[in-house]
Amino acid sequence: MRIAFPHMGNAYIPLRALVESLGAEAVVPERPNAETLKRGLLHAPEFACLPFKVTLGDCLNALDRGADTLAMVCGMWACRFGNYGRVQHMILKDLGHEFDSVLIGRENVGEVAEKFRSGLGPGVFRRLPGALAIFRCKAAAVDEMERLARWARPREEKYGSTDALLFRYLDLLDGADSLRQVRELRGSFRDELLSRPLDGEDGVTRIRLVGELYVLLEPSLNCDLLRRLGSVFRVEAHPVLSTYRWLLGPLWLDPRIQLHGYRARRRTRPYLPYVLGGEEHMTISGILDARRQGFDGVIHAYPLTCMPENICRTVIPSITARTRLPHLGLCFDEHTSPAGVETRLEAFLDLVRDRRRIQTGGLGEQGDVMAGDVSAAAAAGGGRYPLCRSGAGG
Amino acid sequence: MRIGIPRALMFYRYYPFLKTFVEGCGHEVVTSPPTDLRILERGTECCVDDICVAVKAFFGHVDYLKDGVDALLVPRLVSVEKREYDTFTCPKLIAAPDMVRFFPHRPPLLLEWVLDVKRAPWWWGCLRLAVQLGAMPCRAYEAYRAARKEQARYEELLQGGLLPHEALEEMAGVSCTPASGGRKGGPPGGSGMSGAAGARGGRGMVGESRAGAGGRRLCPARGDSPGGLTVAVVGHPYLLGDQLLNKNLILWLRQSGATVLANTAFGAEELEREANLLPDLSWTYERELLAAASLFTRREEVDGVVYLTSFGCGPDSMVMEMFKREMLPSGGKAFMEVVLDEHSAESGVRTRAEAFVDMLRYREAKRAGESAGAGAGTGGRA
Repeated sequence: MRIAFPHMGNAYIPLRALVESLGAEAVVPERPNAETLKRGLLHAPEFACLPFKVTLGDCLNALDRGADTLAMVCGMWACRFGNYGRVQHMILKDLGHEFDSVLIGRENVGEVAEKFRSGLGPGVFRRLPGALAIFRCKAAAVDEMERLARWARPREEKYGSTDALLFRYLDLLDGADSLRQVRELRGSFRDELLSRPLDGEDGVTRIRLVGELYVLLEPSLNCDLLRRLGSVFRVEAHPVLSTYRWLLGPLWLDPRIQLHGYRARRRTRPYLPYVLGGEEHMTISGILDARRQGFDGVIHAYPLTCMPENICRTVIPSITARTRLPHLGLCFDEHTSPAGVETRLEAFLDLVRDRRRIQTGGLGEQGDVMAGDVSAAAAAGGGRYPLCRSGAGG
Repeated sequence: MRIGIPRALMFYRYYPFLKTFVEGCGHEVVTSPPTDLRILERGTECCVDDICVAVKAFFGHVDYLKDGVDALLVPRLVSVEKREYDTFTCPKLIAAPDMVRFFPHRPPLLLEWVLDVKRAPWWWGCLRLAVQLGAMPCRAYEAYRAARKEQARYEELLQGGLLPHEALEEMAGVSCTPASGGRKGGPPGGSGMSGAAGARGGRGMVGESRAGAGGRRLCPARGDSPGGLTVAVVGHPYLLGDQLLNKNLILWLRQSGATVLANTAFGAEELEREANLLPDLSWTYERELLAAASLFTRREEVDGVVYLTSFGCGPDSMVMEMFKREMLPSGGKAFMEVVLDEHSAESGVRTRAEAFVDMLRYREAKRAGESAGAGAGTGGRA
């Protein structure tokens, strides 16, 4: 059984560990890039969202590398992501590829278990606890490394040094095959990162990142947003979602994730009382809590035509108007260019920093005008396409 | 109280029910006129930009209604059927009242009619609405019964082959499409606003362009051109019923000489039976569309299937792919996909409709020639 699964950020590391300790072979295609997207675009429906197109291209890459089983999550949700696996596998079979499709969901646990049993022999369930242990351990390690890197990037002395270190350690982590090794790597990454000289600038701007899961976590899709924000713009960016959350949440391997999820739903209820199937509760609660958690601004990233995030977008202006927090909406599709994203980020961060300087008393007379509503200037020009607005106006 | 119901989205499914219910509770119902360019433009301006055109039109209607009414009634359809797995409608229908609530120009009072069959029976949402409307339970019960009856009558009309807007006209006894025979009537039940509505609706472009089009033709399912071509149109009722959004597609198909069937004409049991053969789908309405499309591909008399959708429609992007890849190849029907957005032009849709019917006619002629040449009466269309 040569199992392949689509890329999502660094999720391939714990997933590979899981699959390999179950006794199957994991096929991990190259990281998604422009070529992957182009391959996906050829066969994907026109206005499916970008994650569909990228993961379809990813599946094609995996099939080229000899995968015979494709795994994907599926479910009965209001968001169309629940149907992605089914439609993608239908398209791939239509294209003449032959593979076994494993759609993992709450509705068909038995079916999936049967597939694994027949593919890997009856010992597979005996190996399951061990596999889940290393899966969880690696997922936690990846999560911590990413978190430390996000903290270190705006403070690094040499451009790109954090990422060089991170990539080296991620590769080592991918190769690690025991829990102890993973723990050691985790510790030595932390030590090495913190032992480097840091740029002692205080008051790094902190930005909350909210939005659609895949766009937030997959660097090839969001024009490397996290790295760009950290290394280029010297901003500490905190996404509300993480690969760890997404991988471990449905498996109930970490109760904190569930508690956090419940809390987010409760926070969102006054705004969106019904479940929409996406990450709308994380988006709304992330924005609601951003001010209290000391963030200077919010960036909302979503793919074009994303249903839950679009509904959030109708709600967000009234929240940010009340909490008086600047917010920038970034829409990603196959035509998004890094230069466009960079320009918008630059303008937004200029506003955020100015506002902060004013609020801390760094600026004189003009302060009064600008402190009122910093993004008013940005919103003035954009009626139809409000990229940056914190007022409720449209 | 004057209660406004926007003429968009689920209006085309539940309006008779809501109107009777609200009137039974002792309030006046006002609707917006059929979508015109101004309403659509207003909706496009004040809604988020990459949502589907039907939602934009919905916001235009909300904006139109908000000043002339005391309250706005927006249905919230969370789930409309009970199954062993979770069912939903489109997220935009689930969150429609929330979107209106946080709309910058919101109405004075927002009433919700919640339909969440998965968790609470149909009457529960009505009872909640009645409480909001200040009606006594016994009166609400009477209104509920009358409303169910009215809804059943509407569904009967739909199954008789009328399109949603035609059935609504038939029920109200008032013509409400902007184009039928140069009338400038108001919306059904819209007593106070009909003047303004008529004036606004009359200025719409659709009215002028359709002035000489021969008016509406009822009962498309009857097959009024025997031996002619039959085109099946599959789409959400809010696209089929809104002639500005669908750019009169049905009219152009009929004018090109085809008999048009629509998916609204199927009964619930028929769709259910068909849907059970298809893969599970959590969106109830799209499940029905898929079942209808599948039924059409198997029907002998249908020559071509047109799938009507709006750009950015999330469920449709998946369902259409399933339809195109799984059902279409086996049926051997011609297929056209019409994607609508606020930039769609009537001439574009007209050209496509005419070309599609021409193509069907050519195909038919070729097939007839072939079978005549072969001399064998194989008879199968597929």
